[in-house]
Amino acid sequence: MNTHKLFQIVTAALLIFVTISCQDVADEIVGKKPADARTINITMIGKSKANPVFLTARKGAEAAARDLSDKYSKIEVNIDWRTPKTESAEQQAERIQTAVEDGTDAILVSCSDDSILTAAINKAVDSGVPVMTFDSDAPGSKRFAFYGPDDVEVGEKITNKLAELIGENGQIAILGGNQNAPNLRQRVAGVRKAAEGYPDIEVVGEFYHEETAEAAAAEMLRVAEAHPNLKGWAMVGGWPFFDEALLKQLEPGKVRIVAVDALPMQLPYIETGIVDVFFGQPTFKWGEVSVQKIVEKIHLEEEVDEFNQMKLIQVWEDNLGGWSRQLRAWGYEDVPRKYLVL
Amino acid sequence: MADSTHHKTASKDSLSAGEKFAYGLGSIVNNLLGGAIGFMSIVLNVGLGINPALVGTLQAIPRFTDALTDPIMGYVSDKTRSRFGRRRPYIFVGAICVGVTFALMWQLPEGHSEMFYFWFFLAGSIVFYMFYTIFATPWVALGYELTSDYHERTRLMAVMNFMGQFAWISLPWFYAIMENDRLFSDSVEGARTLAIVIGIFVAVVGIMPAIFLRERFVAEEETDEDKVSLFEGIKNNVALFFQGLVTTLKQREFLKLCAGTFFLFNGIMLVGAFSSYITIFYVSGGDTDMGARYMGIFGTINTAATLLAIVVVTWLSTKLGKRRTFVVATFVTLLGSLLKWFCYDPLVPWKVLLPAPFIAVGMGALFTLMGSMIADVCDMDELETGERREGMFGSIYWWMVKLGMALAFGMSGYLLNATGFDVEMLGAQTSSTFFWMRVCDVVIPVVAAALSIWAVASFRITEERSFEIREQLEERRRNKAAGEPQVA
Repeated sequence: MNTHKLFQIVTAALLIFVTISCQDVADEIVGKKPADARTINITMIGKSKANPVFLTARKGAEAAARDLSDKYSKIEVNIDWRTPKTESAEQQAERIQTAVEDGTDAILVSCSDDSILTAAINKAVDSGVPVMTFDSDAPGSKRFAFYGPDDVEVGEKITNKLAELIGENGQIAILGGNQNAPNLRQRVAGVRKAAEGYPDIEVVGEFYHEETAEAAAAEMLRVAEAHPNLKGWAMVGGWPFFDEALLKQLEPGKVRIVAVDALPMQLPYIETGIVDVFFGQPTFKWGEVSVQKIVEKIHLEEEVDEFNQMKLIQVWEDNLGGWSRQLRAWGYEDVPRKYLVL
Repeated sequence: MADSTHHKTASKDSLSAGEKFAYGLGSIVNNLLGGAIGFMSIVLNVGLGINPALVGTLQAIPRFTDALTDPIMGYVSDKTRSRFGRRRPYIFVGAICVGVTFALMWQLPEGHSEMFYFWFFLAGSIVFYMFYTIFATPWVALGYELTSDYHERTRLMAVMNFMGQFAWISLPWFYAIMENDRLFSDSVEGARTLAIVIGIFVAVVGIMPAIFLRERFVAEEETDEDKVSLFEGIKNNVALFFQGLVTTLKQREFLKLCAGTFFLFNGIMLVGAFSSYITIFYVSGGDTDMGARYMGIFGTINTAATLLAIVVVTWLSTKLGKRRTFVVATFVTLLGSLLKWFCYDPLVPWKVLLPAPFIAVGMGALFTLMGSMIADVCDMDELETGERREGMFGSIYWWMVKLGMALAFGMSGYLLNATGFDVEMLGAQTSSTFFWMRVCDVVIPVVAAALSIWAVASFRITEERSFEIREQLEERRRNKAAGEPQVA
């Protein structure tokens, strides 16, 4: 055997050895979980299964659970989805209690009514189960953290944008949804607070209604008739645009509108120019960030801030395409194709 | 030139596979050292809480010290007279010292202030880069002089470039290794251990070229006129250094290669970040998992295509010559960059992978052909100046590459900001932001590739010319050996 042949054989053998060794190293680094890996079950309770925002929040939670399980070999994170079919604070309270009895490791909840849920949360915490809230808080409870928007700041942003659109003068109205919802009340307070900075803007009133598209649209039309000089709407929610009814009833640009939410069914209102700006909520992050925070607290044993602010994303004509694609990426399945190609 | 008219490499000019392999090992070490700090520096921020701006400063400062140390080392190596040669002693000592320094500089003690870590790491970096220069500059120069054959040089550089790719393949894994909680308690401990492993690898593998390779040239013998006082010697050497630097920078063919590399390499580097952002925020609509998946596949295709391109380009250069092969390969990259415009499609995201193999061709060709062409320039320079100055050429060339890379990384952030990109908007960037991001991502590398072709298209050292130069040099050396008068 000549030297050249020997060199080739040795090189080939070396390559095979290196490949096998690399496989062993790879198995060690990213392989199966060790036998003593801890399973962390996080019970997630949104307000309602019928509401798509909570379905995308679930996707965010599950994505974070997968990522964290991959990242940390000593834990396996599972999401236990226990959201009621329709909105019911009583059912949420029951599910918190059942989850504790079933031995859950942590609870993540968006409170339909904090006055009902505070007691259930406190009981869970007293039993040794940490609770975190998202979207809608129970600030008087023993929950260790909340992830959601700073509602006063959201209200201020709405006013500032609307003021810019109407040239900082004229009458505006506030559409407030459910008057008893604490987060909406704070947003309304934010709208009013910012409006004080515009001496030529007059707030004609706060208008509350049942949180359905029909009720909100009816209230809008009634106010418009009562205040014919109205120049703008500051809406702390996007209820009137949950269906297409107003697409034919409102004249684009006549009254400037800034509203919270930018769900797929609301996007035609941006396209037609009826709504100038939506402040969209990154609902995927409700689940994603909250699960990260829970793992930081119970696995890494790190200090977690009590208030974790979620930034809302401004959506208008210029970023309709980008926002639509982002919604699709978060799991919304009903985003019209025409917006995805913008 | 017809196939039959191409020169065949004479057996005396051929390098054995073992010699090429030994030189290629230096490439793995060189690339590993060049990339490791960048890939591990995230620990300084994530693990030790150092401000990202300070981390950026830590990476930028050595680029400026390199500007001085690289050409000095090139000059010193070119002028060294020792029984072990002009390059090998430095490669041997440099590899061991740089390996030890690398291992030590990451042994960051816990519980200190941000500025303590800054100064600790800065001091370590400066020493590290000094030893890195002592290893790398003579190693690069050695590659230019190992063979005097026009084609064998390309084959050597191909092996070097091919093997060097394996360092780039390993580098993206460093963070995952340091962060792995099966192996280490935290990323700082991971960095400490990884640095020791890398340091040992560098010291052991880095000395291989010094042990297994032989140098072809020696520095001129010292004459009686050269024997002067220490002060006089330093003064003379400083003057000679600057004289040599100016001569090198006046070498037009060399400058064409520098310009060709600068445009192509930095054009691609400058938009590297853009491609990632577009893939995540435009093509994947802000789905980071999906974007990361596509980027991973893109990287794999790119690497595989680069390895294949090195092989194809090496073969093609024996048919077309180096200059034409470079032009063809760079043109393929230009087309690949143009293709990106049509392949960024949020409705069909996998299309983002299509340009990857085309873009890789130019990059595969670049460091294969440029090293070989600089070796040809060194011959031409010897014919004109009577000196072998591989060290000087290599150091200036690679300093230009490193500086360009630092500028490209620095500028990419500003460019991204200029498009209006706002990370808080996630995938909901405006249409104009996405438009300008795509324009930059396509136009910059296309223009850069075109400029690179323009710069290299007039490179004068063809295969024929290279052999003429070689014949003249060999004749001169024969005459010199016979004691006949020289004509420069």
